[in-house]
Amino acid sequence: MSGLEQIPILSIILLSPLLGLVIIQLLPGQRANWLKIAVTTATLLPLALSLWLYADYDRNQGAVSYSETYSWVQAPLKMNVGGDWFFSFQYAVGIDGLSLPLLLLTAIVTAMAALAAVHVKKRRKSFFSWFLLLEFGMIGAFIARDLFVFFVFFEITLVAMYFLIGIWGYYNRERAANQFLIYNGIGSAIMLIAFVMLVNTAGFHVIETTQSLQYIYSGSYSDIIRNLSDPSAYVNLTADSIGSNPFALNETKQWAIFILLLVAFGIKLPVFPFHSWMLKVHQEAPPAVVMIHSGILLKLGAYGLLRFGLFLFPVQAREWASVLAILGLINLLYGAILAFRQQEFKLVLAYSSISHMGIVLIGLAAFNEIGLQGALFQLISHGLISALLFLIVGSLYERTGTTELSRLGGLARSMPFISGVLLAAGLASLGLPGLSGFVGELLSLLGLFESMRWVTALAVVGIVLTAVYILRSVLKITFGPQREGLTAIRDARFVEALPMVVLLAFIILLGCYPSVLTDTVQTSVGGFMDLLLATRAGG
Amino acid sequence: MDFFAKIAWIIPLVPLISFLVLMTLGRGFRKAGVWIGSIGALGAFVLSLLVLTERLKPHAVDYSYNFSWISIGEYSLRIGFEITNLTALMLVVVTLVGLLVNIYSAGYMASDERITVFYSYVSLFTFSMLGLVLSDNLLSFYLFWELVGVCSFLLVGFWYARPAARAAAKKAFIVTRIGDAGLLLAILVLFWNMPGHALDFTMIESVFGGQGGVITSGITTLIALLLFLGAVGKSGQFPLHVWLPDAMEGPTPISALIHAATMVAAGVFLIARTFPIFEASPAAMETVAYVGAFTAIFAAVIALAQNDLKRILAYSTISQLGYMMLALGLGAMTGAIFHLFTHAFFKALLFLAAGSVIHAVHTGDIREMGGIGSRMRITAWTFAIGALALAGIPPLSGFWSKDAILTAALTQNPLLFTVGLLTGFCTALYMTRLFVLVFLGKSGSAAAHAKESPRVMTIPLIMLAVFAAVAGFVDLPWSGWLSTWLSDEVITPHASIVVIVLSIAAGVLGIGTGWLLYGRGKTTSRSIANWMPGLVKVAERKFYIDELYEILFVKSLRVVGICLAAIDTYIIGGVVKLTGAAASAAGRLGLRLQNGQVQTYGVAAVLGVVAIALVVIGRRMLS
Repeated sequence: MSGLEQIPILSIILLSPLLGLVIIQLLPGQRANWLKIAVTTATLLPLALSLWLYADYDRNQGAVSYSETYSWVQAPLKMNVGGDWFFSFQYAVGIDGLSLPLLLLTAIVTAMAALAAVHVKKRRKSFFSWFLLLEFGMIGAFIARDLFVFFVFFEITLVAMYFLIGIWGYYNRERAANQFLIYNGIGSAIMLIAFVMLVNTAGFHVIETTQSLQYIYSGSYSDIIRNLSDPSAYVNLTADSIGSNPFALNETKQWAIFILLLVAFGIKLPVFPFHSWMLKVHQEAPPAVVMIHSGILLKLGAYGLLRFGLFLFPVQAREWASVLAILGLINLLYGAILAFRQQEFKLVLAYSSISHMGIVLIGLAAFNEIGLQGALFQLISHGLISALLFLIVGSLYERTGTTELSRLGGLARSMPFISGVLLAAGLASLGLPGLSGFVGELLSLLGLFESMRWVTALAVVGIVLTAVYILRSVLKITFGPQREGLTAIRDARFVEALPMVVLLAFIILLGCYPSVLTDTVQTSVGGFMDLLLATRAGG
Repeated sequence: MDFFAKIAWIIPLVPLISFLVLMTLGRGFRKAGVWIGSIGALGAFVLSLLVLTERLKPHAVDYSYNFSWISIGEYSLRIGFEITNLTALMLVVVTLVGLLVNIYSAGYMASDERITVFYSYVSLFTFSMLGLVLSDNLLSFYLFWELVGVCSFLLVGFWYARPAARAAAKKAFIVTRIGDAGLLLAILVLFWNMPGHALDFTMIESVFGGQGGVITSGITTLIALLLFLGAVGKSGQFPLHVWLPDAMEGPTPISALIHAATMVAAGVFLIARTFPIFEASPAAMETVAYVGAFTAIFAAVIALAQNDLKRILAYSTISQLGYMMLALGLGAMTGAIFHLFTHAFFKALLFLAAGSVIHAVHTGDIREMGGIGSRMRITAWTFAIGALALAGIPPLSGFWSKDAILTAALTQNPLLFTVGLLTGFCTALYMTRLFVLVFLGKSGSAAAHAKESPRVMTIPLIMLAVFAAVAGFVDLPWSGWLSTWLSDEVITPHASIVVIVLSIAAGVLGIGTGWLLYGRGKTTSRSIANWMPGLVKVAERKFYIDELYEILFVKSLRVVGICLAAIDTYIIGGVVKLTGAAASAAGRLGLRLQNGQVQTYGVAAVLGVVAIALVVIGRRMLS
């Protein structure tokens, strides 16, 4: 253990993009190079710190580490029963095995996207401002340890994304941005309802002072987990002092919150049939933004589903495991078949994301350690792979002015490096061993097979289909005779090659040495499984 | 002493290092590329040979080592390597053919501008194939199984600018992927049924080879059939054979190495490694035997009617792999491995000799060849040795290994024996046709300027010809040395005069028929076409299997795609439009309220206050 525990490391990581944001406001907007250097540095700082944190994190200790909690406002509540009642708004951050890999993923992908943003030509300064704000929101959402902190950061990402799509996107950018906002707005509204219901019922802790009992409501994860995982203590407390509390968490309400959370994060993931907004985003947003959207923001949906849906309501989620599995299977097959139909490479990748998120659901539905590990692995892996793929899309579009499959072909001759990386990314996406995609698939399927054999068997069919659509599109672009007009294009510049190599290196690292991720996640997932077994034994 | 067995993990790393060096060097360094690739292959070969010599001593003990790759709670997914007699033999086969192909390619690929890339892919393949051979459990086996598949894909599509190469590479990957899905499912079933979730071959042997009872017979058959599905994909068995003939779009040295000697035999090797599972399930054994026998005769018939030099050899490979499957299905595991061993040499030889011809005449169409034998003597002679070995003429290697399989068939299943014999006849026939049309007779249109290939190509041919001639002596019917060594039990010599006589008769008859049909003058396939037009037409079109799959899978997937796309656009997209419309309607309502008149705002505010008051009062009254 080094001295990282003593310094507010998470807050430093969180605030460093904001610092970058302030600095670039002071820079003249015409100086493109200064802006790029400032933005890259601002994203490299969290990357370096997250790597350090990842190395420093004690894998054997499953609990939340590096936590920081500061109370912001304590609003008194008026209640009919005795004692002092407060509602506490607090700033609480911390990481465990679940959020740490996602934090690192965020830092990696954002830094690489910042490098990829060389293609942005108009209004660079405000682009980079929104970009850094987006990173601020994502980091905050992953390290939050309070429902309201999570909610605020989640909303920040929405606002930033809205402008990034709406101003710097392609032809239909405004419609895409609006659709994005409507869907995600509905999602966050539902999420907020669920959060309020949760805080109202389970989000409190009691402090005994000499004068009286203090009941403090807050969105703190640890309070909620404690109250939910030990219902008997909670019931005793309610019987004694807040028996007449109209908000006690009964089974109906648990189900209601669970389903609300499922819908809210299902939209974000996205789960079929809530996926159409993300197609538009993939198609219309600038590639550097899609790297982040597909690489990280979709993971926020899965993270929420895992953190709030599964970890807080294991009983309900388990009962609905088969629903999750079927939804996952639909995503997997539906995405794969439609990806096979697309004529536009960006849409192939969009449907591919739907398909790969299906594997995440399948892993979650397994409800054992292997499956959960698989789901998380798939999140990280898909984050890296889709970021890499959209990085390539950006470079392709810059050179050819199109991503229509019918207008591309034979690029391996004029740009062997980019084509090689595209092929490698495609192979990673279709689950070639030695690259990260395989491990996520293997663990998810292995996990699900224990309880649902037929669904798993069908999912394996989906994996064959993945090979079909990936090879179809990737080989269309790179192999075959060279097309007219595409002969003079140049291969990757250094600034493009660098993020490609970095992302590919992480993909290979995870594929060859998966323990570097699974061991970090292990204690947190194991802790959840213990919790689950305890509830199963209890009732 | 098992020193070399213990360091066997180094063997695959040698070509891996070659691959990494070649990748870093890039496309320059053409000469260096050849050397780096070949030295990697040589290093692996020398080490493999040392391992094999160690195994030849009596009482060699199997050695295995593994470590945890992913560890999750109580479960552990492991990776490791194992040296047994079987793996040691395979190591030498793979590295020997690999080395010769590396040398040969220096000549064959000399004028290709991407020769360094070629050598890097070949090195990656050698690494993966050696990893597959060495694997001590099914999971690491699967990892390398997929890697050899992707190397095959990369090399089939090596000349990527050709649309045919692109299509062939895609087909090779996807069709074998169907088989891979079977292997993956087999692993899933095994993982959840094996005691201790073990996947290693030693444990598989002790669980399935024991008294049974741990795993029910239904599950056993399921696992065996799923494993077999994997083998069917990789080894080009019916009905997943369609990719292998198309894979001939790759450079010919690759066809010799990957699509004749090593990777396609991996399916046979897989079944040999998991043989106790198959032995525990009679139903699975029968399936393997019948699929193998059918594939053998089916592919041999197609080979009779093809006109592309490499495709004929590809169908021949499918047919011979069918023989090996037949042997496995009959329980003659050592016979199958023996045939794998001899086939690796004579088929690699045939492909490399074919490459030498194609290199000289720049076409693969045998109708444009003819009379090449006098211009390319070494190629012709070595090809002849390979062809005779394949046709099963004693004392060349193919005769002995075929004999082992046919003997097993005769004692167990006369029907399969007959099929095997008929296949032998067809094999001799199509090889005679091939040889006559390519090397003998009048000079064809493309053959006029043919001249012998450089020595860097002919020396590997001569070496392979020697092996193709003598490799059979390791397991003569009356000694059974290889079988004894492989299976660790004393095998009673299985010599059967009936089989020997019938097998020679089939071979000689085939050659004789071929000579009668094609030998004198310029008869072509037309003569049989007149004789039985229907069959020739069907065989020429490869029994319309590709066309059938086009309708069955490609078209139907397209139809499903169209339906789903319609749902996506009209139903789900429609709902989205509706939501959007509702939202903007609400927005417009809001807009109308914001008309800038203070009175309107005042009314709204008052209404709001009244509403809140009503709610508060209402709640008071209710509680």
